[in-house]
Amino acid sequence: MAVRTNADRLVTQILAGEVWPALADRHGYRVDADGTPFLLPGMGGVTLGVHPGDRATGYEADHLEPGLSVRHRDAGANMALQFLSCVGNTVTVRSGPAAGFTGKVIGQHAYVLVDLVEEELAQVSTGDQVTVAARGQGLKLLDHPDVVAKNLDPGLLDRLPVRTRADGRLEVGVAARVPAVAVGAGAGMVSEFANTDLMGAYAGQGEDLSLGLESLRIGDLVVLEDSDHRFGRGFRPGYLTIGVISTGHCRLYGHGPGPSSILSGPAEAFHIVDDPDACLGGLL
Amino acid sequence: MTTVAVNLSGVVETPTMPGSPYLIDADGRPYVPVGDSGVVLGVHVGDGVFDVDGDHVAPGVTLAHADQAARHALTAFACFGNRAVVRGGAAAGAEGFVLGKRGEEGRVIVVFPDDVLARLVPGDPIMVRGSGQGASIAGVVLMNADPGALSLLPLTIGDGSVSAVVRAVLPSSYAGNGIGRPAQMWDIDLQLTPATDPGLRLGDLVAVDDLDVRHNAGYRRGYRTIGLIVHGGSPLPGHGPGLMPILCAPAENLPVTIAVDALPMLRPDHLNSRP
Repeated sequence: MAVRTNADRLVTQILAGEVWPALADRHGYRVDADGTPFLLPGMGGVTLGVHPGDRATGYEADHLEPGLSVRHRDAGANMALQFLSCVGNTVTVRSGPAAGFTGKVIGQHAYVLVDLVEEELAQVSTGDQVTVAARGQGLKLLDHPDVVAKNLDPGLLDRLPVRTRADGRLEVGVAARVPAVAVGAGAGMVSEFANTDLMGAYAGQGEDLSLGLESLRIGDLVVLEDSDHRFGRGFRPGYLTIGVISTGHCRLYGHGPGPSSILSGPAEAFHIVDDPDACLGGLL
Repeated sequence: MTTVAVNLSGVVETPTMPGSPYLIDADGRPYVPVGDSGVVLGVHVGDGVFDVDGDHVAPGVTLAHADQAARHALTAFACFGNRAVVRGGAAAGAEGFVLGKRGEEGRVIVVFPDDVLARLVPGDPIMVRGSGQGASIAGVVLMNADPGALSLLPLTIGDGSVSAVVRAVLPSSYAGNGIGRPAQMWDIDLQLTPATDPGLRLGDLVAVDDLDVRHNAGYRRGYRTIGLIVHGGSPLPGHGPGLMPILCAPAENLPVTIAVDALPMLRPDHLNSRP
């Protein structure tokens, strides 16, 4: 059964942002888990060639942010943009040669991350202005009072492998199950901001670092075990969090591909189904 | 190699709050964080990490610096056991010792005798003799500790290994805020609640398995990190008692004995009786 929500009570707010340049400092290098220095692209700006459905790891990249990375110059306005933008929201380019092109929010990572088709993405540059039609915070699943929804456009929810079961639980299809030991940077932060980096996905590095997460794709729905993201992000046995992988390969240690949190609650409120097709690829 | 000591300037932190005082706990209840920084009275090394209803409460004072880059350096170079001297205000001349540090913007936790604490106020200047980063022990990685202060802790330095008496050994799933951050500048909050607390006290040694903190903190099978508990619990999800890493190595180089009922592993008089 389709999930009943309060979507008819949610408003849309137009938020402005700007495609933010990649940032570096004069020292250049960071070091990876083994102490090896690296200097690699991935975070900020316009990152080409990676879209929902594509593999998340295996790139020579750090904190790979597919598509556009969007911020606002004013600190307060930026927090509103980061908190209120939801996965699935429509983004419109407002300036430059790409003006008028539209894309979709695929997640947050202290930037709002936006996917456009590759040919249009190739025409966007840093400094271009965009707007986000922000809608989704305040979403409630009417028949699942113990499950908190966030960062999720209600229009996208209808296309995800999520449904209400006859026994009252919320069935969710996931492409991967993530153990709590994989949770890296992001623990302790509010769950409407950025995402939760997953360790154990360092494709090309040592076996002792692996938690079997190297096959994640951008856009995959995943379940974080023993994680409570209802009011922040913490380890909590008996709670589950559903997320959408919005960022890719990391070399920086303690970081990795990360899900934006969309649903969280006690484990007994969910029925998790393994579904290799549980991915935003093709859904946006 | 010879390690180098540096004199660092810190200022007793002034607690700050945003326009709305509330933070939200794991169950969605608002709370007002108390005792998060500055001069905190009535909390001592040896106290339980959930003895008071505060948030990240540390025993003593926290130091900061007005310049963020200098604050990061202060945090990076101040180490457990370093001597601190009050350089102004009513407590000028009094001495204390660094217990540990906290992350994010960075702050250094300094323990003083109660009569000194009673005279300290936010803004008082304090000098820390920063010494310890770069020091080494064969077979393990040492950080955040003055080698001269290691004798205050229940450690036995062997040939290529260090044996430790710890209050508890936790799996890495308890490591919260601090993962993915540089452990020379950032403690690791243990995601414990009063219900799951194994009886930690401020100043205890605790081991975390499958945690490697040499180049940022992260999951690595077979590694072990031992740290000092430097601040108390927090209602905030993903936060909790703070473990400042001091030793990291493959687990076989860091054998531990668990002493659940031991006396406090570090006592203020240990610190204050140092030469």
